[in-house]
Amino acid sequence: MASTEPAAEPPVAGSEAPDRPSDEAILQQQNQIRAEQAKVSEYVGQEENLGALKAEYENGNQNFVQKIGKLEERYRTFRRTRGDGNCFFRGFIYAYLEGLLQNSDLAEANRFMSVVQSWKAKLVEGGFQELVFEDAMELLLEQVKEVTKASDQFAQEKLLVNMRDDMVSNMIVMFLRLVTSCEVQRREDFFFPFILGMYDEPPATVELFCQRHVEPMGEESDHLHIVAVTEALQIPVRVVYLDSSGLPAGGGGGGAGALEASCHDFVPDSCPPGTAPRVHLLYRPGHYDILYAKSG
Amino acid sequence: MATARQRLLKEYKEALKQKSEDTGITLIPNETNLFAWRAVLRGPKETPFEGGVFELVINVPEQYPLQPPAVRYRTKIFHPNVHFKTGEICLDILKNAWSPAWTLHSVCQAVLALMSDPAPDSPLNCDAGNLLRFGDTRGYNSLARMYTLDYAR
Repeated sequence: MASTEPAAEPPVAGSEAPDRPSDEAILQQQNQIRAEQAKVSEYVGQEENLGALKAEYENGNQNFVQKIGKLEERYRTFRRTRGDGNCFFRGFIYAYLEGLLQNSDLAEANRFMSVVQSWKAKLVEGGFQELVFEDAMELLLEQVKEVTKASDQFAQEKLLVNMRDDMVSNMIVMFLRLVTSCEVQRREDFFFPFILGMYDEPPATVELFCQRHVEPMGEESDHLHIVAVTEALQIPVRVVYLDSSGLPAGGGGGGAGALEASCHDFVPDSCPPGTAPRVHLLYRPGHYDILYAKSG
Repeated sequence: MATARQRLLKEYKEALKQKSEDTGITLIPNETNLFAWRAVLRGPKETPFEGGVFELVINVPEQYPLQPPAVRYRTKIFHPNVHFKTGEICLDILKNAWSPAWTLHSVCQAVLALMSDPAPDSPLNCDAGNLLRFGDTRGYNSLARMYTLDYAR
């Protein structure tokens, strides 16, 4: 049809780019998609047996099934997070706060609160205006205070409700993103080589990388984000990588043993090597959920 | 919504402190609605917009600062990244690169930077974009200047 059309009209000053929806229309549609997602999955789901995870792969790749079977030896349950690009940060902070609550770990809670407060000065020094992060920081501190007050069923429910709340949950994620960005920029020399390796056309500076891939909500987290945030808050994390690969963990060459998901521990420099992780996350390509280790 | 209001009040206090003579930006909230603002920008020096005064309309969503404000020019402007009829602006930080670290004031700074440094490869105004893409800086400058004189004074 295009070929039979008469030649385009001569340009007049300011002729428009081809029809496109307005920004508001795009935003509205994004909100609608989010609302639909919200119906399907909460920001933070319920604790589920690993059997539910295994069931997803029963008719699929058997490597997953085998690896989950092996996981069941060490983990009792898991909890899904919404796949909105914020799953790492949300899963991480939820699992951490829940751990504080369940262990009534007052010493750790106090340590964490003073670390969070120490970020106020660092963020300002890093060029962030106080007004952009202070409310979010308050919200996070409130959650910590809340979980140290009581560790009953009610407190647990309350944490879940808060972390499912659009504003509270997302403001906390946003604060973690700013802290991560600031940490990456403070240790530019350390992080820049990683950034260069992550992209075919890497961002020219660490600052640009942070503005484009760390600070915006919904930008997915990579290894680098995890290193930065675990260092910044001094919280050791274990990530269990569950994928379809058929090589035995450890790559010992023997290959006779059952397939096992590989793990990676992110232990901050300030913690002695081998410090037990406070948060366990399950990574499947593109997504993080929370894992619960068997006690003892 | 309470969070957005709280944040906007802080930004308002901050805006009162800023001197427009230094920044070229005046931010004014609607008297009865903290979610509707306008900004008056002074056309940056050494651009065809110099000497012009450009008004932006800013609508802040309830989910602010988790979601970006909607910003458009009320004043007509000939610029590759501004829709000639609607005043809509093509700027990544108003869309997918938005982060809550931006404020209404820093958004205005970014808009000013865009006036000085147009991105002709992602045009909303194809004519302005084409002039620059084909190296006709003179043609672009004179048209942009003409519209500045006609509409932005």
